[in-house]
Amino acid sequence: MTQTTIILSIAAIILIVINSKKTGKQYEGLKLGLTQFLQTAPIILGAFILAGIIEVLIPREFVQNWLSREAGLKGIVLGTFGGMLLAMGPYAFYPIVASIMASGAGLGTIISIITGWVLLGLSKFPYETGFFGVKFTVKKLIFSIPFCFLAGLIAYILELTILT
Amino acid sequence: MKQSLIVIYGSLAILIIIVYFVGGSAIILEGLNISIVTMYKSFLMLVASFIIIGQLNVLLSKDAIEKWLQKFSGIKAIIVSAIAGGLFPGGPYIYYPFVLSFREKKLPFYILITFIFGKQVYDLSRLPMEASLVSPEIALIRHLITFPIPIIVGLLALRLYGSTVSINPTLKAGENDDSDNYNS
Repeated sequence: MTQTTIILSIAAIILIVINSKKTGKQYEGLKLGLTQFLQTAPIILGAFILAGIIEVLIPREFVQNWLSREAGLKGIVLGTFGGMLLAMGPYAFYPIVASIMASGAGLGTIISIITGWVLLGLSKFPYETGFFGVKFTVKKLIFSIPFCFLAGLIAYILELTILT
Repeated sequence: MKQSLIVIYGSLAILIIIVYFVGGSAIILEGLNISIVTMYKSFLMLVASFIIIGQLNVLLSKDAIEKWLQKFSGIKAIIVSAIAGGLFPGGPYIYYPFVLSFREKKLPFYILITFIFGKQVYDLSRLPMEASLVSPEIALIRHLITFPIPIIVGLLALRLYGSTVSINPTLKAGENDDSDNYNS
């Protein structure tokens, strides 16, 4: 975690320097980031609490049977549709994924949850149908499902072979 | 934002009631303890993540991305469109109207669909959150595995629909394009 903080801090400093040289709007960027942080703080707080509760609520047998590496394809299918149903923004979604991971879910499940949320996420539906219509949204959804399964499957194979 | 708050705190209230009946108040306290520890550990990462998001929003303007998209065609356009999608800042209420404007700019469907998949799969502004809140390793593996998706989608759309300029090229003659209301 410390390592991630250091990497992210270095990236932030580099971007501030680039922005100051290229656009001169580094303070505007800082203000924008801070405003966004404050606006999303209630969501992040709620998501952290929710993630902690989920972590203690998910029964070990459920994780073992449905989400762990041993669950195999079941975990990938469940992960894909679970990700789709988690109709929330990234600030709320990622802490929940972290709690599912901490419960012992396999890599295939985790990757399919994230890919499912990224491509099929229900929270995008109102915008997508609003701007592009129902037909476009449904076709895109059906077309995207195999990609989620495939991503989960690749991660599952990686976990079994290389990342053991 | 309001919708997310309702979903989160509504789910939280329901889960707390379930947990209370399943394991009593001790298990709720255990969950809250996990939350506080995670929050404490993640705070600095979150601050750094939001600084990155703010800087990226200023650095990558809508105009610059639009210029890139109009410059290329074919496979080059697919790659540029996928990357531009990933770099484009803002949520769905910002990028969907932007994508919808592609039709007026006579940009073909394959560029449009690649841009949408690029935004959803790569989204650079989401990367710091994914790395800090889940784990950098998972974020890296996920991006490596899903990297080809927008490009495959773009190539398929190019093969199937060529340079058709439309929001929905699969519609038959006479069928209504629901998106028309937003373009008039």
